[in-house]
Amino acid sequence: MIDLCLTAFLCLYLGLGGRKPFLWVLAYLYVDILAPQLISWGILSHIPTSLIFFTAAFAGWLFFDDKTDSRFTVRQGLLFLLLLYCGYTTLVADFPKEAWEKWSWVWKALIFSIFLPLTLRTRLRIEAALLVMVLSAGSIIIDGAIKTLAGGGGYGTLRFFVDNNTGLYEGSIISCVSIAIIPSILWLAKHGTIFPTDWRVKLFAAGLIFACLLIPVGTQARTGLICIGVLCVLYLRTAKHRILISAGMALAVLVAVPFLPKSYTARMNTIENNQADQSASTRLAVWGWTWDYAKQHPFGGGFNVYLANNLRFETTQAETSGSTTVVKTQVIQDGARAFHSSYFEMLGEQGFPGLALWLTIQLTGIVQMEMLRRRWAKRAGPDEQWQAPLAVALQLAHVIYMVGALFVGIAYQPFVLMLIGVQNGLWSYLKRVEPKLAGRVAQRRMMAVGTPALTA
Amino acid sequence: MVDIFALSIAHGLLVLAAWRLMSRDDLDSEGGPRPKFGSRRKPPLAAAPDDVAP
Repeated sequence: MIDLCLTAFLCLYLGLGGRKPFLWVLAYLYVDILAPQLISWGILSHIPTSLIFFTAAFAGWLFFDDKTDSRFTVRQGLLFLLLLYCGYTTLVADFPKEAWEKWSWVWKALIFSIFLPLTLRTRLRIEAALLVMVLSAGSIIIDGAIKTLAGGGGYGTLRFFVDNNTGLYEGSIISCVSIAIIPSILWLAKHGTIFPTDWRVKLFAAGLIFACLLIPVGTQARTGLICIGVLCVLYLRTAKHRILISAGMALAVLVAVPFLPKSYTARMNTIENNQADQSASTRLAVWGWTWDYAKQHPFGGGFNVYLANNLRFETTQAETSGSTTVVKTQVIQDGARAFHSSYFEMLGEQGFPGLALWLTIQLTGIVQMEMLRRRWAKRAGPDEQWQAPLAVALQLAHVIYMVGALFVGIAYQPFVLMLIGVQNGLWSYLKRVEPKLAGRVAQRRMMAVGTPALTA
Repeated sequence: MVDIFALSIAHGLLVLAAWRLMSRDDLDSEGGPRPKFGSRRKPPLAAAPDDVAP
């Protein structure tokens, strides 16, 4: 049943794309985020769904779309450089077979991120891309949230649609992404034109945000809690009613804490007491190893070079009973542990040049969104109200991603690369339409000034 | 059951979004539809000699 419905859904998008080829771009966003071929057991799992829509999206743009408004931005150039550099390190990788495996999906995610802004030529397209991204991820989030409410959560045990740990189906990654998209949900609910604001849109947005907040509880990923904290602080920076919102946040925390499962609060306590936690100790050991490796191999070791690590570290745990404290030390030997941090993932795999390039791509995104916010925030025209809030939403998503990336290896996460694509699309679009819009506003002002004189 | 519910909500909205996008001209170009490739605007009809007032 699910299989037939998913196939019918994709056929519908494929068919409608014949009239509006941009729908193929949207369909690819959906396929790459939700991976329906993993959920399905029938037709979709046997055909290269992702490749079909990738080709359709690109061909649709190449043959049918108007390209006069498409612009190539500096950040797209940086992404292209990163792609070339990753290609080079894959050729000379320490673990060629494993490196080629990772390259097989990384190049696609990077190429699509470079390509996406070329298609985002209108405001509606930017909105549609964001909406499809939010709804596709929302599907996984709603599923996880309901299961969390029903008591099915737990570290590494919350099952989404599939028994798979890749892409957004991994607990820490979906925790980070679910918090990162909250500002975008708010933007879509307030400024959306596909689903204009009404009580149904507001109700769905509120429900989806609640579901997003439940995901870190359900997955018990500590990254998620840190991301929620960062979002709250950053949201207040640009919010209008700061005192009211911060009071609401405090109230929500007070109400929510008694309902949190004990296993969740116990795991969150390990953020503070990380010396006793093997997962945290492994991370520190891997990061130390990566730093040493990068000093010896400054140009990186290629994808999946973490397989070379062999770690030996200690965990200490203090147990106090009355006035006596016993400190237990345990020596742990481990190997081939993943980076558990995007920064160290880049450093180990792509070396210092790759890390510098990647950081430049990330930081320029945050800076560009800030520039857009400042440029559009004080404008009062009816066509000028959506730009600054969207820039803020994309900026917050990016900052939350960068915080989450401290503890999770998601340097090439396709969802985040799509987000970068949307940022580039918005930057390029606003740069292009600003003079036209300024002209229209000036004309309107002139008419407003001229009207009384004419009527007098 | 939960899976079907979650998939239905998101996919229902995605279908509705696609449907609404089909009727929006501003998806492909803003400020009115562009002339199709190869099409030319017809020149204004010249006034027929009979219409000219004596």
